Amino acid sequence: MWWFRARRLQQERAAEIEACRAMLVDRYIECGLSREEALRTARLELEEPLTEQTRVEHTMRPSMRNTIESSLQDARYAGRALRKSPAFTAIAVLTLALGIGVNTAIFSVVYAVLLRPLPYNHPEQLAFIWSSFKSASSRAPTSGPALYEIQHRSRLAQDIAAIWVGTGTFTGDVNPEQVKVAFVTTNFLQMLGTRPALGRVFRPDEQFNGPPAIVLSYGLWQRRFGGDPSIVGKGVAFQGESATVLGVLPQDFQLYFPQDSNVPPEIGVFFPFQNWLYQRPRTLYFLRVLARLKPGVSVDQAQADMNQVANQMRGAYTEFANENLKLEVAPMQRDVVRDLRTPLIALFAGSGFVLLICSVNIANLLLARANDRRQEIAVRCALGASQGRILRQLFLEGLLLCALAGATGVALGWAALRGLLTIRPDYLARMPHVELNWPVLAFVAAVSLACALVFGLAPSFESAKSDLIGTLREAGRSSQTPARRGVSALLIVGEITLGFVLVIGAGLMIRTLTKIQQVNPGFDAQRLMTFELDLNKFDPPDRINFVRDWESKLATLPGVDAVGGVSHLPLDDYSNWYSPYRPEGVAQSAATTLADYRAITPGYLRAMGTRLLEGRLFDDRDRAETQQVVLVDDMLAHSAWPGESAVGKKIETEHFTQKGVIPVWAEVVGVVEHVHNHSLSKRLRAEVYIPFTQTPREHMTFAVRTRMDPSALAGTIRQELQKRDKDLALSKLRPMTTYVERASAPVRFTAVLAGIFAALALLLAAIGIYGVISYSVSRRMHEMGVRMALGATSSDVLRLVMREGLVLTSIGMLLGTVGALFVSRALEGLLYGISAVDPVSYAIAIPVIALAAVLGCWRPAAKAASANPVDALRM
Amino acid sequence: MSYSSVVLAKIQTGTPPAMPEPSEILQGTLDMLVLRTLALGPMHGLGVSDRIRQITRGVFVVKPGSLFPALYRLEQNGWIKGHWGESENNRKAKYYTLTPSGRAQLTKEKRKWNKAFSAVNRLLEGEF
Repeated sequence: MWWFRARRLQQERAAEIEACRAMLVDRYIECGLSREEALRTARLELEEPLTEQTRVEHTMRPSMRNTIESSLQDARYAGRALRKSPAFTAIAVLTLALGIGVNTAIFSVVYAVLLRPLPYNHPEQLAFIWSSFKSASSRAPTSGPALYEIQHRSRLAQDIAAIWVGTGTFTGDVNPEQVKVAFVTTNFLQMLGTRPALGRVFRPDEQFNGPPAIVLSYGLWQRRFGGDPSIVGKGVAFQGESATVLGVLPQDFQLYFPQDSNVPPEIGVFFPFQNWLYQRPRTLYFLRVLARLKPGVSVDQAQADMNQVANQMRGAYTEFANENLKLEVAPMQRDVVRDLRTPLIALFAGSGFVLLICSVNIANLLLARANDRRQEIAVRCALGASQGRILRQLFLEGLLLCALAGATGVALGWAALRGLLTIRPDYLARMPHVELNWPVLAFVAAVSLACALVFGLAPSFESAKSDLIGTLREAGRSSQTPARRGVSALLIVGEITLGFVLVIGAGLMIRTLTKIQQVNPGFDAQRLMTFELDLNKFDPPDRINFVRDWESKLATLPGVDAVGGVSHLPLDDYSNWYSPYRPEGVAQSAATTLADYRAITPGYLRAMGTRLLEGRLFDDRDRAETQQVVLVDDMLAHSAWPGESAVGKKIETEHFTQKGVIPVWAEVVGVVEHVHNHSLSKRLRAEVYIPFTQTPREHMTFAVRTRMDPSALAGTIRQELQKRDKDLALSKLRPMTTYVERASAPVRFTAVLAGIFAALALLLAAIGIYGVISYSVSRRMHEMGVRMALGATSSDVLRLVMREGLVLTSIGMLLGTVGALFVSRALEGLLYGISAVDPVSYAIAIPVIALAAVLGCWRPAAKAASANPVDALRM
Repeated sequence: MSYSSVVLAKIQTGTPPAMPEPSEILQGTLDMLVLRTLALGPMHGLGVSDRIRQITRGVFVVKPGSLFPALYRLEQNGWIKGHWGESENNRKAKYYTLTPSGRAQLTKEKRKWNKAFSAVNRLLEGEF
């Protein structure tokens, strides 16, 4: 290696000088000098070589040494050049850092959500299997018997598991606590490749006779059981009985399921399904199915396999044939983020646009700078610098600039990410590891390097081919060449185009957000307090009595207007209850239609503010032993009895009776408006309401309509429940507005970010126009002076400059309109309540962009108009 | 070598070292002088310096500050080769020998110098 050689050489040279000194001393002594004098003279003579020249310089191969040395020289020169113009450097670095920072933050999210592999064993083999029915508008879960069929008929899946999430309550010494319980087939955890932190998980084909066995989440084990290391094998009080703890899941274990699956990421307890699962009704669809495909099986092959399975199932059972059951394979990695893909990609594209606009500004700056430095570069060429050397030097300057910007950008991005995470909607909370990690940093480095290549090389090609003699002759009076002005104009047009597209995109998202906030969800969320109770410990008659007494107690609290209870609150992520219904006169063999089912107490709809359209609401006359009655929403009424009154009609609906979950013929007593149970923007399914007395579900959510701030009631509600029953677990005590906000959070997130991007784009575009126009004006002050000397008024000059900027802006807006039309087509799936060519968005975007352009042009134009003809001519 | 045309070596001329009259001579000249001296036979640095003064009758005095870099440079180019030996008065010294490529280089330099020298002479003495 060359540095070892260098070291040896240096030692040898020192030895040689030493030898030389000795000889000199000998010689001087011979000449008659004293020893001291001889030493001093020799030292003086050798001083120079000792200090300066023994430094090793020639140790590398000359060509390589030259390259490295001259590169270092160039780098130092680049650093000096940047330091010499701090304003330019600061603006360029900050602009680019802004672009890189925005991209760093967004890419961190994109990476964490869309790109990072799921933390399971061979995640690429995992796929959901969704059912689809003729009657259902969206994909559906499956039933126990159907799961059995799929498991036994599939040939390309290694393993098929299923999950359903409900709630359960821990009782015992400490406060009762309601937790999310995942009911899973015994192979579920093992299929994911979960390694427990403690104990073990269920074994496939394991049967539990006797006390139920459960697996705890790490969080629950820490929180409720104090991280007890000997908990495995112990019995804990769960759902009113003793359950044996089999194991504890690792700390980072999380379920990643799509939003519409109603499987939340944080589960407290895993509970095994037993064989009874397969004896449940064939049409009770509630299981979310996850399969591990055999290695190397493609999605298409798996889909073909499932098509065959579905075909066999339709042949074997009339229920499946009637519903035209189909099975759909969805790879887990993609499916988990199916609702996030479009908005995130749109945002990523938006941040890319911001970076492009930043880049355009910097390209303009560098062009102007290269123009100013033509003189310097020409002189360097004249002194013998090769084109390659000059290119390299300019490239190094670009690289240095981009490296600075990249570093600043990462810092900005980190700060932006902190901000982003505070406003992130729940769906991003499902992805906890949004952070700056190596892939993100690699991305930033790649972006910075790409910028360096573009910025370093593009203007330098321009400069390097510049006309040497002409430039030298110009000597300081240089004006912009027409070609370069053309490039600047092109950049401005590009900037306006990108800015316009961003503003339109943001406009569409903001308009969608306002539309969604204006949606009447079928209830009034203001001044409404909600909370959930687990009533599992009561027998059905006691449960009915308890709820009646509890509601009348709540109604007497000060400030309370109305009280009601419901089995499934709208916009909650609690597992949905939806089942088939059959209006009278429709044959049993006909296709089933599905509706959301809700068990409610008489006061519920009034408390929620849901309007009654026809007939009556439930009241105390509707009891367990009286005629089975239901309320339906207008959606069901219109589709089942178009043009007729639904009141008094008979309908077969599913009731939870003491005999089990059975179809019952009920009478429609009223029609209410549709409630948005799942999404503010979509009407998903018709709705059926059953009196709580006739279907006493185990979990009830209570809605309390107040005359004041609903949160003020929280303490009172807790105290009242404590007084009444210490074993009841109360959860999700929060105002109804929380649910509404959460439902609109994804749209708000997209809209806020798109708005920020658009604002940045406007600002950058205005700065960009300002930069280019003012540069061009400063170069043309002479021309302006001449014009004025020849009789142009200052308003003529003002107009001239403004026109230059505004013509470019108009061209940009025209191109932007075309671009925006394409972009809004791509955004269509994210929009609600407006068309993709929303006239309002365009009507706002056009003047906003024009205003930004005018602001950008104004100062330089005014400066040009103030040109003094005398000064200009004297120049 | 790219620097050879730019970097100039300083050689002091004139007999008395006390009265320096610096003039800049292209480094190539010094290299040539060193090569020419070594063509006489192997010699150490101080010897080279002595011999140049002796042959040029004191017109050129090469100080160590110029001599050693020149030696290193020539060795780097492979024109001379150094090896340790003993000096006349039993001191350790590094002796340099001209290599075949150094001899070729010397011939080249000589030809160049003669050409330049006669050109300059013609210019100074010729008729216009």
